[in-house]
Amino acid sequence: MADAGGIVRSRTLGSRALTVLKYTLLTIGAIVMVAPFLDMFFGALRTVPERLARPPVYFPQTPQWDNFAQVFREMPMLQWGINSLITTLSVTVLQVTSSAMAGYALAKFEFFGRMTAFRFVLGAQMFPFFLFIIPMFFILRYFPLVGGNDIFGKGGMGLLNSYLAIILPFAVSWHGVFLMRQFMMAVPSELLDAARMDGAGEFRIFFTIVLPLVTPGLATLAIFVFVYQWNEVIWTMTVTRTAPNLQTVPVGIYLLRGAYVEEAKMSVQQAAIFLSILPVMIAFLFLQRFYVRGLTAGGVKG
Amino acid sequence: MSLNSKVLLHSISAVALSAALAVPAIAQDTKTITIATHYNQENIEPILACYTEYEASHPGIKIESQQVSYADFLQTIVTSRVGGTSPDIYNIYSIWAPQLVKAQALAVPPADITDWIKANYAEGTVGAATIGGQVYGIPTELSVYQLVYNKKILAEAGFDHPPATWAELEEMGAAVVKKNDQGVITTAGFAFGPTVANAVHPFYALMYANGTPPFNADYTATNLTSPTAIKVLTDMVELYQKGITSVGNEVGQFVAGGSAMAIMANWQEGGLKAAITDDFDNTVGVAPIPHDAGTPGGTMLYSFLWAVDSTSDVQPEAWELLKWLNTPAADGTLSCTGAMLNGMGALTGSTADTAAMGDSLTDAFSTPYVEAVASGLALTQPNNLQEAQIERILRTYIEQAWAGTLTPTDALTAADAEIQAVLEE
Amino acid sequence: MRWLNTRTITPLLFMAPVLVFAIVFFFLPVGFSLYISFHKWDSLSPPEFYGFTNYVYLLSKDPQFYRTLVNTFVFAGGTIAIGIPLALVVAYSFSQSRFQTVWRSIYWLPMITNIVAVAFIWKFVLNDAYGMLNRGLALVGLPGPGWLTNPSLSMFSVIMVFVWMQLGHNMLLVSAGLQSIDDTYYEAARIDGAHSGNIFWDITLPLLKPTILFLLITNFITGISYFALMMVLTEGGPAGSTNVTSLYMYNMAFSDLRLGRASAAAYILFALIFIVTLIQLRLFRRGGVEAHN
Repeated sequence: MADAGGIVRSRTLGSRALTVLKYTLLTIGAIVMVAPFLDMFFGALRTVPERLARPPVYFPQTPQWDNFAQVFREMPMLQWGINSLITTLSVTVLQVTSSAMAGYALAKFEFFGRMTAFRFVLGAQMFPFFLFIIPMFFILRYFPLVGGNDIFGKGGMGLLNSYLAIILPFAVSWHGVFLMRQFMMAVPSELLDAARMDGAGEFRIFFTIVLPLVTPGLATLAIFVFVYQWNEVIWTMTVTRTAPNLQTVPVGIYLLRGAYVEEAKMSVQQAAIFLSILPVMIAFLFLQRFYVRGLTAGGVKG
Repeated sequence: MSLNSKVLLHSISAVALSAALAVPAIAQDTKTITIATHYNQENIEPILACYTEYEASHPGIKIESQQVSYADFLQTIVTSRVGGTSPDIYNIYSIWAPQLVKAQALAVPPADITDWIKANYAEGTVGAATIGGQVYGIPTELSVYQLVYNKKILAEAGFDHPPATWAELEEMGAAVVKKNDQGVITTAGFAFGPTVANAVHPFYALMYANGTPPFNADYTATNLTSPTAIKVLTDMVELYQKGITSVGNEVGQFVAGGSAMAIMANWQEGGLKAAITDDFDNTVGVAPIPHDAGTPGGTMLYSFLWAVDSTSDVQPEAWELLKWLNTPAADGTLSCTGAMLNGMGALTGSTADTAAMGDSLTDAFSTPYVEAVASGLALTQPNNLQEAQIERILRTYIEQAWAGTLTPTDALTAADAEIQAVLEE
Repeated sequence: MRWLNTRTITPLLFMAPVLVFAIVFFFLPVGFSLYISFHKWDSLSPPEFYGFTNYVYLLSKDPQFYRTLVNTFVFAGGTIAIGIPLALVVAYSFSQSRFQTVWRSIYWLPMITNIVAVAFIWKFVLNDAYGMLNRGLALVGLPGPGWLTNPSLSMFSVIMVFVWMQLGHNMLLVSAGLQSIDDTYYEAARIDGAHSGNIFWDITLPLLKPTILFLLITNFITGISYFALMMVLTEGGPAGSTNVTSLYMYNMAFSDLRLGRASAAAYILFALIFIVTLIQLRLFRRGGVEAHN
């Protein structure tokens, strides 16, 4: 790339220059990636006078670690964290289970409508989420026989104001089904047939033979879903606006922003933001290799 | 997958699902009253204490407080209404009331409450809570817009009084501007924006100050293409063109000395005092909104009201609680609502609370606000059916004029056309 | 016989959760929103049949709708035009570098950060007078523009924040594509005496075509339906400059309760996405590339 001029230089010199260029580029990129986080971190440690000074003091002189403690004193951070965990784990479990089951059926069984079902799974991924926001809200609202509703879905609030309102719309993802189908394709059919010969039931085969073989795939999908769901904001906010006891960490922080618009309170808000990122960051550092596999498996067959 | 991890997976899913399915059970013997307000934690503290007190003296009543950001408040009520999950009581902005009444969201108070409201609240605030002849709630916060200025910044440039006319305002504004080496304005002469309230309300306030309300009397047409409206927006835009302010300067920066002047409501007093602890009275000054010769001046006021949701199943209890929250325990003391408003520096429609606020209404900061209400120069904000949507539209066009992408006349003409369509709907 | 029976029933049992979901949370919503897009509905009173009125209103009377459509396409186009070349360059450097785990962790940080945090972080960084970026520019003597307050710049800023968020994701897809290219191509090229620049243009890029197509389509669909960042960072402002159609639709539905018109807006946007995606697929098929499999 660097040799666009077309001058043929000595190969070692050219490739060394290229190497320097590559590392410079990667380093600049890395700074751009990390610096905004540091900016917030310094912000979280500033005192009020430091914020109000003009120009504001950039590097906090005496880091206010107490701002982090104040987050827990002022905001229902613990409740939000529990809500985030409950919804994120539930969605992860449901999505991994449903995807593994459907992916297995699509990959390893011949049945009527299989190709149609598979094409649907591919096509459904093209439907953007915004199309579902309005109708899904009302489907949950008028869900029959729950939350005070009668059989016609009237009378109560249906599934709204419950964890299910946050969880159910994400119980299945078409991308997840597709991903698991790709992983299931690699399971040798001979192994399944042999087990059937031995008289094993279909569900036993699924649980004792198939699932162990695709564990890496399950882990991949699980971390994928976990990260996505922990960070989900639009839908969760739509259904928990009036249910503060169900709000998750990012949604809670966002909806409480009105109380932190004043310069004097911003350090606490920045501390809360930092805390909201932490769990995913830690989980991700340990599990990122699964993420790589997921991206490539779901992506392109070159 | 090993047996252990399988068991783990199963137990996690079991736990997660059962947690998900356990919709919080509502005990039959206690009645829960949910109250939604937009006030922040510090503002609301006095009321929260009252909730606890009320719960103690009224066994069987449980009060849940919901704080919702002002910016999300209407959307939250609407969403909860649509979702059938409304709170029982909400503290709403008077301009939202017509829309909510039309959607049949507000409960009609019992006759004794209506009489009590009429007997104990100033006429103007009862008016703001009345739609189609029916009182829908208990007036609370009353807020007025005035010019707030930084005395020290003006004094540094040699001015010992606030501006009275727009020409004076421009002159003073231009004299105090400070820029950094890059030409970014660090101390602006004036600031507007960035929210709906900080864009549209100063514009409305300036229109009132110059003698023309933004809408005609029966809200069938706007006055946005009137000479006054065009003059007001042109005046605003001049501040941007002359480098007295910029789109980067916001009302919120006033507190840190980021601008010398802004049009602000009295409820900001609490926040300003909390941040400017040192020498407040010699730093922050309040004056009537500058206007040009020939008009008596004026400004805009708005109010909030406590209302009960029409689908609430604890309506009698809710009204009883509201009456308790708004009645002083003894003569000369503040009611719970009054104590909260007083802490913020807001005014109230309650005659008893107004009397009890006493000194805090006569301090240097509050006096110009109180006078504007008393003299009748502060007029109630437009209260039409889609006011919230109209203000959103208007904000967009005002911002375009500030940024110079539309001329004031073009911006107001376009805004008028779009708002007219909403009014006619 | 029993064996045959289970073979027919079993896949259906395995598919059952997904089938139920498809009915309740896919076909029902898609049909329901199509239905109400032909009605006037505020959800508090019964829907009133409106024919094509909602569609006609949006397409012929509503000046905001067109503005938001333009914003939507500018956003999607901008994220692709800036994001994909950037991802190519970074991935190319990344795939031949050492310490890949370290680089990867760094570049992924924004991607795993929730959108509220991203927005609030950048609000501070992009602050006019005292934001980190403008303070940095001041150090080298450059004027700091109003990144989020100037209506002609705000969309660019939002695009850049989005590109920042997505770079790690795109970079990884590209580097996976790069790894799948057989080394023998490079060997052959080197023996023929091609230098690195030529290798990149003549060998790497053409072989990356499937990856690039995949990125184009997925980034396009994401970009055009995306509004979380605008909602949280700019609320569509200033002066409506970052108000995209899906955000406009959301507010139309949940602030103004115009559920019918909002659904019509959603369908119009969906139709546009559908058409553009088909065009993209066709163009690339003609170029001899198949997406997915």
